[in-house]
Amino acid sequence: MKKAIVMTLCAAMAVGMIGSVSTVYASEPDITSDDAIKKAADEGWEIAVVPKDSTNPWFVRMDTGVKEVADKAGVNCYQIDTGTIDATKQAQLVEDLIAQGVDAICVVPVDMESMDSTLKKAKDAGIVVITHEGADLTNVDYDIEAFSNEGYGAFIMQNLAEAMGEEGLYTTMVASLTNGSHNEWADAAVEYQKEHYPNMTLLEENPRVESDDNGDTAYNVAKELIKTYPDLKGIMGTSSFDAPGVARAIQELGLVDKFFTSGTGMPADNAELLKSGVIKSLTLWDPAKSGEAMVDLACKVLAGEEIGAPVNLNVDGYTEMTFREGSETVLEGQGWITIDADNVDDFGF
Amino acid sequence: MNKKIKKIFQSNEPYIFLIIILLGIVVQIRSGQFFTANNIVDLLSAMIVPGLFAIAEFMALIAGGIDVSFPALASLSAYATTKLLLDKNYEGNVLLAFVIAIAIGAVLGAVNGYFIGYLNLNAMIVTLGSASIFQGIMQGTLRANQLSVIPSGMKSFGTAAFLTATNKTNGLTSILPYTFIILVLVCAVMHFVLHYTIFGRGIYAIGGNPLSAHTAGFNVKRTKFIMYIMIGMIASASGICRVCMMQQMHPTNMLGMEMNIIAGVVLGGVALTGGAGTLTGCILGTFLIILVQNSMILLGIPTTWSDVFVGLVIVIGVSLTAWQSNRTSKSKKKSVKEGA
Amino acid sequence: MSQCLLKAEHIKISFGNVHALRDVSLEILPGEIHCLAGENGCGKSTIIKIISGVYQRDGGTIEFNGQKIDKISPIDAINLGIQVIYQDFALFPNLTVAENLALNTELASRKKTVSWKNVRKIAEEAVSKINFQVDLDQKVQELTVAQKQMVAISRALMSNAKLIIMDEPTTALTKKEVSALFKIILKLKEQGIAILFISHKLDEVFEISDRFTIFRDGQMVATGSTKELDDKKFTYYMTGREFSDKIFVPENLSDKPVFELRNLTLDGAFSDINLSLRRGEILGITGLLDSGRTELGLSMFGLKPADSGQIMKEGKEIRLTNPREAIANSIGYVPEDRLSEGLFLTQSIGDNIIISEIDKLKKKNGQFDLKKRDEEVEKWVKELEIKTNNPNNAATTLSGGNQQRIVLAKWLACNLDVLILNGPTVGVDIGSKHDIHMVLQRLANQGLGIIIISDDLPEVIQNCSRVLVIKNGKIKSEYDTQNVSEQMIIDDMM
Repeated sequence: MKKAIVMTLCAAMAVGMIGSVSTVYASEPDITSDDAIKKAADEGWEIAVVPKDSTNPWFVRMDTGVKEVADKAGVNCYQIDTGTIDATKQAQLVEDLIAQGVDAICVVPVDMESMDSTLKKAKDAGIVVITHEGADLTNVDYDIEAFSNEGYGAFIMQNLAEAMGEEGLYTTMVASLTNGSHNEWADAAVEYQKEHYPNMTLLEENPRVESDDNGDTAYNVAKELIKTYPDLKGIMGTSSFDAPGVARAIQELGLVDKFFTSGTGMPADNAELLKSGVIKSLTLWDPAKSGEAMVDLACKVLAGEEIGAPVNLNVDGYTEMTFREGSETVLEGQGWITIDADNVDDFGF
Repeated sequence: MNKKIKKIFQSNEPYIFLIIILLGIVVQIRSGQFFTANNIVDLLSAMIVPGLFAIAEFMALIAGGIDVSFPALASLSAYATTKLLLDKNYEGNVLLAFVIAIAIGAVLGAVNGYFIGYLNLNAMIVTLGSASIFQGIMQGTLRANQLSVIPSGMKSFGTAAFLTATNKTNGLTSILPYTFIILVLVCAVMHFVLHYTIFGRGIYAIGGNPLSAHTAGFNVKRTKFIMYIMIGMIASASGICRVCMMQQMHPTNMLGMEMNIIAGVVLGGVALTGGAGTLTGCILGTFLIILVQNSMILLGIPTTWSDVFVGLVIVIGVSLTAWQSNRTSKSKKKSVKEGA
Repeated sequence: MSQCLLKAEHIKISFGNVHALRDVSLEILPGEIHCLAGENGCGKSTIIKIISGVYQRDGGTIEFNGQKIDKISPIDAINLGIQVIYQDFALFPNLTVAENLALNTELASRKKTVSWKNVRKIAEEAVSKINFQVDLDQKVQELTVAQKQMVAISRALMSNAKLIIMDEPTTALTKKEVSALFKIILKLKEQGIAILFISHKLDEVFEISDRFTIFRDGQMVATGSTKELDDKKFTYYMTGREFSDKIFVPENLSDKPVFELRNLTLDGAFSDINLSLRRGEILGITGLLDSGRTELGLSMFGLKPADSGQIMKEGKEIRLTNPREAIANSIGYVPEDRLSEGLFLTQSIGDNIIISEIDKLKKKNGQFDLKKRDEEVEKWVKELEIKTNNPNNAATTLSGGNQQRIVLAKWLACNLDVLILNGPTVGVDIGSKHDIHMVLQRLANQGLGIIIISDDLPEVIQNCSRVLVIKNGKIKSEYDTQNVSEQMIIDDMM
C-alpha cells in the first residue's frame, strides 16, 4: 500500500519537477466563480486567518492570497497575527477571535497540543475551524495540506539526494521537536531515503536537530554538526530558515560542493545562494494559494456544501484534493514546486 | 601578594572561568573538537552580539535598574537603518549604517532614560512597556518584514574576515568577522567609562545607594538618563553587527534574547539588586551561556534535552556564585569576631 | 555668653495638617558637645533636616557662624560646614572604603575622570585625622557597624566641618564601640568642632555632653547645662510623666518551681546552667554580648537544642528540640530583634497577635472563626494598650514600643506558663519602655513565670526579683535585686 502511494507521488513529482511552475500558473481556476465564495460575500461572513507570525515573508505571501480573495470576491476575510512565533500568544489570539464571534477561523498552528484545546472552544462556539499544516489536530472541520506530508518529505529528500549524489551521511533539521509538519516531513524523508538511496545513511547519534525557526541558530547548529561529525555530508531542512542558515555555514567553512542542504526556502531570499551554487535546489509551495484555499474551504463549510473527495477549491494545486488515508478531516493537494538557479527569478515573491 | 590572591578568589570571576575551562575539557574529551582554532573562533563570533547586549545590560543592572527592551530596541533601530539605506540604494561604507543606528538607538534609549531617570519609574515596567512599543512601531508603523538583501557595505563588513582559523585535521575554516573588533572596542571603552570617569563611578554609586548618591552631589536623574541612552546606542550597534553577520534583517529573531543575556550577566556575579559586579564577570558569564548553547551537539546531548541542560548550567552556576558569596561573607564575619 | 555657632529661633514647620515643629529653638556653642534628646516623633529628626537644608522651614530664623541663613540646599549646608551623619551613614556599601571617603571631594572638584592615586591619597588623609585603622581596599559592606560609622565620620571631616550632627550614633554599637566613639567625639571637640549628638539614652547624655536640649511633641521643653540635669528630670522632660523607681517585689509566688534547668550545656555557648523559676517571679539573666546569654535563651525555647542536661516543667522533664515543643509546653519567647524575628511587619496588627494561637481559632468544621479572631484581637489590643486606631493596619505603622507589645500579645494569647524575653526594650523609647515593664510586672503578679535576658542593668534591677550573671557560658553569681548595685554586676560580668 505504502509503495503504491510512493509510486504515485513519484510520478506526480516527476511531473511537478519538470513543469510544475508553468502548469500551475497556466490554468487559472477562478475563485470568484465559486458559489460558496459568492454567498460568503453576500452574507458578510467574517473569516479570520491566523498565521504563525507576520514578519516571516512566508506569511506575508499568505496575506497577499487572503487579501486577494477579499479584494476580488468581496469576502470579509483578513489575516491577523501575534507578531512573534509564540504558541501561547497564538492561542490567546484565537481565544480573542472566539470572543469576538467571527464565523470561521483559519489557523496555521505553532504548537499542536496547545492549539487543539483552544480550537475545541471555537468548535463549541459554533465557529468553523480550518487549519493548515496541522494534520494532527482533532478539533477542526478540515485541515488543508498543500500536499501530503509524506509526499513533500520525500520530495525534499529527492532534492537533497540529487545534490549529495545519492550517497553519504545526513541528518534532519526542524524548527522544533514539537512542530507537527516539519517532523512528519523529516520522518517521510528518512523513510524515502531508506527505500530509494541505499548508499545514504542517517546520522544515528543525532538524527534530528532544532533551528528554532531562526537562521542564526540554524547556522550555529550546522557548524557544530560539521565539527562533531566529520563524515556528515548533508542536512535536510524543513523550516524556511533551515537550509539558508546551513548554507551560510557551508559558505563560511569552505564546504561548497562538499556539503549539501536542501529544504523549504523562499525564492527571492535565496536567489543569490542558489545562483552561486551553495544550495542546489530548494522546495516550496505557494503560501498565498494555501491562504486562498483555506478561505474558500471555510466558505464552503459555512455555506453547508458537502465536502467529498475530490474537492475543488478553485485554487491552483488545490483543485483535486483528496482525504488523507484514514482521515476524514485532512485534505491533501498537489501544490509542491522546486526552485533552482534557473527558475528562481520567475516567482513574484 | 597572598592577600591579593585571596581577594581574587573571593569574587565570582575565577569560579566562572573554572567552569568554562572544565566544560571545555569535557567537550574536548567527548568530541576532541574544543581546543581547536576554528571552534574557538566559532565561539568568539557567536559571542559578539550577546556580548554587546550583555555590556549594555550590565550597566543597567549595576545602576540598580534593569533593561528588558534592548532586543526590541536593537531590532527597531537596525531595521529602520537597513530599510532606509536600502530605499536610498546606499552603496557606501558600513560606517553610515552604524552612525544612523546608533543615533536612533540614542533616541530610543532616551525614552527609557526619561521615564526611568527623570520620572523615577520602575525600570522593569518601563522597559517592558517600551519593548512592546518598539516592537509595535516596527510591525505597525514600519510594517516590518524580513529583509533578505542588505546594503553591500554591510554585507561585505559582515563577511570580511578579521581572523581566519583553519582546522588542520579536517580542513574546516571559520572566520572571525570584523564585528568582533566592535565588541573589543566597546568593552575597552566601557571599562574606561565605568572605572575611570566620575560618570561611571556615579553608576556604581547609584546602584549602591541612590539616596547617598544624591546627597553626595551626583545628578542621579541625569546619570540614569545618559546611561539608558548609552544602553540604546550599544544595543543598536549590536543590532547592526547582527544584521551584517546574518546577511539579512529579521525583525523578530532577536526578541526573547533578553532572558539568556540577563542570566549570563547574573551568572557572572552581577547583582540584580545593583551596585555589585565587574565587566570581566559579565563577559565571562555571557561566554559561559554561549559556550553551553553551542556545545550541545559536540557534547552529544540529545536535542530533546538541550534546553534542560542549558537551564541546569544556569541554575548550577547561579547557585555556585550564591554559595561562594555566602561563604565569603561568613568567613568575613568570623574573622571580625575573632579579631574583636 | 559667647557667640553662638548655630542659633535657631522660633522654627516652625508642618507637613499637611501635622505641626511637626511648633516654635522650637536650638543654640549650639562653638566646640561644644550638645545633646538633643526626645522620644520618637518629637521632632529631633525634623530639626536636623531643616538645619542641613533637606527641609525648608515655614517660619523662624537660623543663624550659623554669625551669618543669617534663609533658604539653603544640602550642598550649601555642607559648604557652610554643617555635616550630618545619618543612622544609615549614607555610605555606598558596594564601593571600597577609599572611594567612599574620596567621592565627595572628587565630585566637588568637578573633574570628569577619576585618578585612583588621588583617591587613595585623599582617603589616607581622611582616616589619619581620627587615627582610624582600616583596609582602604575593603568594601564598606564588609565592615562592622562601628567601622562604617568611622568611615562616615572621616568623610564628614574632609570638608572642614564646623558642626557635625550625629543622628542616634550609638544605636547599633556595643558598649566597647560606644566608648571608642566617645573618645573620637572628644578628640573632635579638641579640634574645635561642635557636635550635635542625638540620643534618647540617658547615660550617654550624661557621659558625653556639655549642654542638652530636650524636645517633646514638636516643642522645646528644656535646655541648659548637663550638670543641672538628673535622671528624674530627664525622664520627666522626655515623657512628661513621672515614674517611680521602685524595685519589683513578687506578690504571688508559687511554692514549687514552674521551670527548671539542671546542668544544661550547649557546646561552645554555655555549660552547667542550673536555674529554677517560680510562677509570679521575674528572673533576670545578664552578661556580656558573647557570654552565651542569647544562646541560653534560644535553648530554653528549643531554637538551639542543648547538648546535655535536663529541662523540667512543673517538676517533669521535657524535651525541647524545636519551638513547637516549647509552645506545646506553654513556653513563649520574645526574640532580641523583634523586627526581623518576631513580627510579620507587612501583615496586619491583628494577624500578628493571633498567629501563635491560630489553631485554636477553628470552628468545628475546620473553618477559620473570624468572629472569634476579632474578639481575641480586640481583647489584647485593649489589655496591652497598643496604640492603634485600626488593628487591620500593617504592623509597620506602629512605633517600636507598640511593636514590642504585639509580640507580647502574640505569646500571651497562647496562655503561657513561662515567658522568656531577650532584650525586651532595645530601641524602645522611655515612655513605652516603662509601659512594657508595667505590663510584665502585672503579668507576673497574675501568675506567669518570666525570664528577662538583658544587658540594660537598670531594667534588670528594677524589674526582676533575682538576677543571674553569666560569664563565659557559666553562671558567675546570683543576686537578690533588693540589695545589689549596678557596679557589683558589672564587676562580675567583665
